[in-house]
Amino acid sequence: MPQEEAADDTRKAPRFRFDRHAPDYHEQFEAITQEMHAKCPIAWSDTYDGHWVAAGNGQVFDLARSAEFLSNDHDVKGERRGYQGISIPAPQKSGQGGILEMDPPRQRYYRQALNPYLSPAAVARWVPFVDEVVRACLDEKIESGSIDFVDDLANVVPAVLTLAMMGIPLQRWVIYNEPAHAGVYTPPDSPDMPRVIALHQEMIMDLVRQLHDVRANPRPGLIDALVALRIDGEAPPDAELMGNLALLIGGGFDTTTALTAHALEWLSENPVERERLSRERDTLLDSATEEFLRFYTPAVGDGRTISADCEIAGVRFREGDRLWLSWAMANRDAAAFPDPNEVDLARRNNRHSSFGLGVHRCIGSNVARMVFKRMLLAVLDRMPDYGCDPDGAVHYDSIGVINGMRHLPATFTPGPRVGPGLAETLDVLQRACDEQGLAAPVTVRQGRAQIGST
Amino acid sequence: MKVHVDAERCQGHTLCAMIAPEVFELSDIDGHSSAITEDVPAELEQKVIEAVNSCPEGAISVS
Repeated sequence: MPQEEAADDTRKAPRFRFDRHAPDYHEQFEAITQEMHAKCPIAWSDTYDGHWVAAGNGQVFDLARSAEFLSNDHDVKGERRGYQGISIPAPQKSGQGGILEMDPPRQRYYRQALNPYLSPAAVARWVPFVDEVVRACLDEKIESGSIDFVDDLANVVPAVLTLAMMGIPLQRWVIYNEPAHAGVYTPPDSPDMPRVIALHQEMIMDLVRQLHDVRANPRPGLIDALVALRIDGEAPPDAELMGNLALLIGGGFDTTTALTAHALEWLSENPVERERLSRERDTLLDSATEEFLRFYTPAVGDGRTISADCEIAGVRFREGDRLWLSWAMANRDAAAFPDPNEVDLARRNNRHSSFGLGVHRCIGSNVARMVFKRMLLAVLDRMPDYGCDPDGAVHYDSIGVINGMRHLPATFTPGPRVGPGLAETLDVLQRACDEQGLAAPVTVRQGRAQIGST
Repeated sequence: MKVHVDAERCQGHTLCAMIAPEVFELSDIDGHSSAITEDVPAELEQKVIEAVNSCPEGAISVS
């Protein structure tokens, strides 16, 4: 072995074979996490062409905050340093993943353009809109006494809201729904993959159409913000805008679905805690939400590329090294969270990293929290005795990207409908979007959505 | 007790304002936090310490 390579070999220690796409990773998650925390909170793994894995809470924090040595860049055309973005393994064929695969200062221009649509104040305006979508979803099922919380609720609400915020007609949510989820959970070798790819292409075609529509006839929303964006006086290329539109869909759909499904499943298995949460919601809802975020970390981690030789947390990194920041493992570190593998709805000092850390903090975090809380409260109010069917619950085969669920069927004591079904409701809400300009940024419109009698 | 939010470190996670809305306010534009007043009333000290310990970015300090 040449000397240089041998020296590099000693640098790459301790070693741990880490494969989060392995079939048994889901089942082994807690054991692997505990082992890495005890032996190697930062480790070198030979999997996927070799990469570092940060598992410890303190180590993930130190690394994620070392922005001067980390890059998110996905240099698709090989114009810069050829970095591969945030996916490990790197995707076979893919464009740049929007601002999540971009470094400052360019990334900052985008965030400044998008923040006024996604800030806590901006998101709070949508509560009456979300409540109406949730009501319609539950009304579709309330008389029957059975529901699939993924298919009939947690897939629908985040999808409809995301399209509304972007400025896309609401009824089109079905074009986006399946590819947004199936694109994440379908293994590359699945016989279903060609169909999923076709659905994904259809979705991308529609996004292109929406981009052109908004450019030709401006209407408020996140697409308009991207169309209007100028960086150093220049409009970004369409491919870059498309990367951001796809990121908004990907970030807005699958993650909140995953969080909601897992929380509803856990509450079904822990009915005493469910009753307590419903009863003490005024004091428990915030902490319970953060705890479900910590425990079920929907987006399990992000890749980075080391952008300059450096030493962080006692490890010598070299420019070009790939690194996996495991938010999910950092969130289970006993050094930061007492009894990390227990769900404590009243947990204090819960500094989880489920929305990432540093300048790439999930830009939709306020949307996710709000939508999750509105769905959860409505279920607790209208289906308080629901019980999930463990045999019908389907978790993602691989939790390597998103810790999600495909199905979560449940039964409950039937109740009365209180309003129209989903299709009719979406028509009403579309008119509200159009007439009130709901998707305008908070700098333009401060008032809450006016829906029906609200 | 005095409280300070490091504007460079804050990334708008909003946990501080959830815990102690009397002390922290969030920008309407980007959700980043700042202290409404630097001096923390005695009855809110406990909440502010919890906010310090809850900030994912370690952006809040007290003196």
